[in-house]
Amino acid sequence: MNGRVPFGVADYFWDEASKRQNLLDLLMETFRGWGYGDVIPPMFEFDSTLSAQYDDRLRSGMYRFLDRDGSTLSLRPEFTTPVARLVGARLHDWPMPQRFCYGGSVFRYLEPQAGRQREFWQVGGELIGAPNPAADAEILALTATALKVAGLTEFRQIVGHIRYYRSLLQALDLNPQQTQQLQWALERKSEPLLDDFLRETPLRTGQRQAVETLPQLVGENVDGILSLAERHIQNRGMHEALQNLRGIVDALLGYDILDSFVIDLTEIRNLGYYTGVSFEAVTPGLGTAVASGGRYDDLVGRFGPPQPAVGVALGVDRLLVAQQRQDETDSAADPRRPQAALALPQGSQEALAQVQSLRQAGLHIQVDVNGWPIDSAFAYAVETGVCDVLLWEDGFQHHQRDDQGDFVLLGQLEESRLPGWTANCREGLSK
Amino acid sequence: MTSAVAVPSRAPAETIEQSRPAAASDRNQQSLLFALPKGRLAQDSLSFLEQAGLSIPTDTESRKLILPAADGSTGFVMAKPRDVPTYVEHGAADLGICGLDVVRETDRAVYEPLLLPFGHCRLSVAGPADEAAVPPGESGDFADLAVKPATYSSSPGTPLRYMSQPRIATEYPHLSRRFFAERGVNAEIIALGGSVELGPILGLADLIVDVVQTGTTLRMNGLVEIRTILESQAVLVVNRASYQLKAAEINRIIERMRLLTT
Repeated sequence: MNGRVPFGVADYFWDEASKRQNLLDLLMETFRGWGYGDVIPPMFEFDSTLSAQYDDRLRSGMYRFLDRDGSTLSLRPEFTTPVARLVGARLHDWPMPQRFCYGGSVFRYLEPQAGRQREFWQVGGELIGAPNPAADAEILALTATALKVAGLTEFRQIVGHIRYYRSLLQALDLNPQQTQQLQWALERKSEPLLDDFLRETPLRTGQRQAVETLPQLVGENVDGILSLAERHIQNRGMHEALQNLRGIVDALLGYDILDSFVIDLTEIRNLGYYTGVSFEAVTPGLGTAVASGGRYDDLVGRFGPPQPAVGVALGVDRLLVAQQRQDETDSAADPRRPQAALALPQGSQEALAQVQSLRQAGLHIQVDVNGWPIDSAFAYAVETGVCDVLLWEDGFQHHQRDDQGDFVLLGQLEESRLPGWTANCREGLSK
Repeated sequence: MTSAVAVPSRAPAETIEQSRPAAASDRNQQSLLFALPKGRLAQDSLSFLEQAGLSIPTDTESRKLILPAADGSTGFVMAKPRDVPTYVEHGAADLGICGLDVVRETDRAVYEPLLLPFGHCRLSVAGPADEAAVPPGESGDFADLAVKPATYSSSPGTPLRYMSQPRIATEYPHLSRRFFAERGVNAEIIALGGSVELGPILGLADLIVDVVQTGTTLRMNGLVEIRTILESQAVLVVNRASYQLKAAEINRIIERMRLLTT
């Protein structure tokens, strides 16, 4: 036996584990507050269910294995497809729209980076059966709210529309090699590569101008960019994409999150199943996106009657890194949560009964099960960061650690003297 | 904290409160962090930034890890060239300058808005001049082949007919493997950290893939260029998040640089 773990997974414990779990709960609660109901899809599915929907990058990053009957299975690399399958196959006759939220592990066989292992956590929501810009706006506003709940203050949401680019490609009628060249240039935001493309590709004047304008369709001036893009419309698809973006922006006015908005009509990396608006959220100090999402009107239909849908997933691991980096600059480190108080019942049944009632009142209490003398209990408490030791002598005597690190007897236990988290829990319950 | 008994208890807290805003404002002032490559491109990069009217560090020989620009607007880190795209991808630096060869080899998810007018070189396949490395049916005039660049995006040109599994010594394992794979050859790639010209001399490799500027090093070691894999020059790379989060500052830098490149 050895204690190694496979590359790409990690143990989380103590503060790191509780922070993680708390953030997950907090985000889930935010989604629930907007009417999103919990869904727990399976950890693995038939490979064919999942991988048909993805682009090459994600497909090559899936964990696959064989079931005992020989069928290929995959660990879920994201939640959207399983949720779409559920709604398409089983919930299609339930009233629309349907809102679902989820949180848990996903698995991608990629190089670990930015606090993210090959198993990492996502929280997200899907709004299914709603085609209008108001639905896209809800997801964008919900994402902004969730990022604020996670404690981020300076994030930006980069909003693109894959339909604009795909329609432009249609209008240009390029061969695969030319398409590749244009995509390369846009993905890298490379002016020289775009110049190469324009020099080597024969285009009509209007088309050429539409391509030349692309690099300018990036920035905070939402209205200006949309107006500029509207002057270079080549076909109906491009027109509808811009109309749709305008509709979303209008629908967002009431939410007061437009100041975090950046339009980028050249942002074309994505999971492959998006059909409309797509977006990523970025935050200072972290080079990668903390959330991404978009509209996927063709996905549910692969599993049942078609339904328009839009959703978002937030990366819990990256949010934690972003929080940490932000706290370093804000110097607003959150206080260490106190450990559960340590009670020494000294073999008394009465003591255990009182511990039970304290726990019912919401206090966190661990009981000594080794029959320790008080000195051993103090030594254990000091090493594990426990601040309160309760010794049974016809009622609990409360010993509390002072600033110098020495335990001081406060006298008979009064619940209100149990500090911080434990007392807060009790207050929360009494409300 | 244990010795704080004799000291007024407020004192330590005040020190902390005072020092923190100072550190924070330091970071705010240096809102951009620029990663520059040590070595070959270092001096050219600094001169180029200066020409572009950007404030550069006064003392580049300093042992400090982050060098502030003369006007304090920008911080600079001098990194190993290979690490520049890594720093920028992870957002440890907002922008960077490095060779296109390094950007393609490391294949990091960064934006690369501009090619910069220095650091020109080419990544080439080279082999011993005297040997029967001249494939049958291919022109023996290596110099002629070398001036006709065959970038990997264009057609392979005349086929490479080496032995089934040539051994390639290189500092560019990814680009080398891809170059040969695209021509139907599964080359044995021997990744080295430098002095790859030694490979053929010591019998470690049949061919090398390396950066060529003038060709002097190759000639001195009895090697000739056979194919050009990539024409390289310096390139500006930008972190994808910073590009949006610090759009105003970064666009200002791009604008100034663009004036010098066109």
